[in-house]
Formats: sequence, C-alpha cells, structure tokens
Amino acid sequence: MKNNLKVQRAIKDLTQEDLAKLLGVSRQTINSIEKNRYVPSTVLALKLSKVFGISVNDIFELEVGE
Amino acid sequence: MKNICETERSKLHRLGRFQLPNKYKNVGWAIIVSAFTLMIAKKFVDEPTWVKPVLRNVMILGFLMVSISKEKIEDELMGSLRATSYRLALIIGVLYALVQPYVTYAIESLIDPDNAAIDNGYFQVLLYILLIQIMFFHILKRSS
Repeated sequence: MKNNLKVQRAIKDLTQEDLAKLLGVSRQTINSIEKNRYVPSTVLALKLSKVFGISVNDIFELEVGE
Repeated sequence: MKNICETERSKLHRLGRFQLPNKYKNVGWAIIVSAFTLMIAKKFVDEPTWVKPVLRNVMILGFLMVSISKEKIEDELMGSLRATSYRLALIIGVLYALVQPYVTYAIESLIDPDNAAIDNGYFQVLLYILLIQIMFFHILKRSS
C-alpha cells in the first residue's frame, strides 16, 4: 500500500513532529508510514483523514496485486 | 454464557496488553547492571552457593521489566514491533535451546570425551512456553 502522506503534510505545512503530536503517536511512526514501512490501523488512518480533511482513499492507495 | 465468554475475552486482552510504565525500563536496567556487577564481584569473595542462582533470577527479572515496560510514546507501531520481536524471540530462543546442548556436547566430546553429556535442562521451560502460546492463541482465536 502506498500513500501521499508527505504531500498532504506539506500542503498543511506540518512537520512529522507536528503531525505526530496531533495524532498522539511518535515521529518514528509518521516516518515509517511515509516510507511505506508500516501500514497504520484503521483508527490511525481515520485520524489522519480527519486531520487533513480528506477521505482515507485520498491518502492511501492499494498497489497492483494487493 | 455469552457474557462469561465476553468477560473472559476482555480479561485476556487486558492481560495481553499489560505493560509497566516507561520509568520501569530504567529500573530494569539498573537491576540488570547491579546483578551483573555483583556476579562479577562474587568471583573474588567467598559467598554461599545460593547467591549465584538468586542473582541470575534477579537479572532475568530485570530483563523482564525492560521487556514489558512502555516506550516514552507507546503507540500502535511500538505495539506491532513488540509483537514481532516476541515472535522472533520465541522462534530463535527455541531453536537456540534445541541446538545449543548438541554444540556443547560436540565441544565437550573433543575436550573431555568421558564426561561429555547432552543437557536437556531447557526441555521443561520450552515445552511450557510453547504449550502456553498455543493455548492462548486458540483461546483468543475462538473468542475473536
């Protein structure tokens, strides 16, 4: 699964640290999601969607074969 | 009956998520270092025979505290990494415990063939850990 979290973060002018604080997670978690090393839970994905004001499908996208 | 199952499932999940606060990680490390230092110091002093096993157990207790203490920010990534690390520890630990006695036996056979023997001291603890894991997995699977 790929995501455009970095782009969304840039649009909102948020650092990884800022976003992590808003979501109550560590900066490492945000970094891992952006690097596609970690797939967040539905709860965290929905929290991200709320922060950016867009749907989960606009942030995350399934890759071919998934 | 449904309520009893629900309560048991909730208790198991709570037990499975049990963690010590982050400050206990440092307490754990302090216990480990203290026990290790005392084990080294013990070599230069005559101590009763019970001291060594007690210090070893204290050290294991320290490692357990480090293992089950929360990170400063304990989020879902940490939970996922923790679960993976426990899974790896179980598999590698079991394989190590299976192979290690034979390696020791092979080395002892070369050095002192008359006294070489295979030590199966890990059998009980390995069997216990694996049975508990399989049992909890099935309980959690049935109740999910």
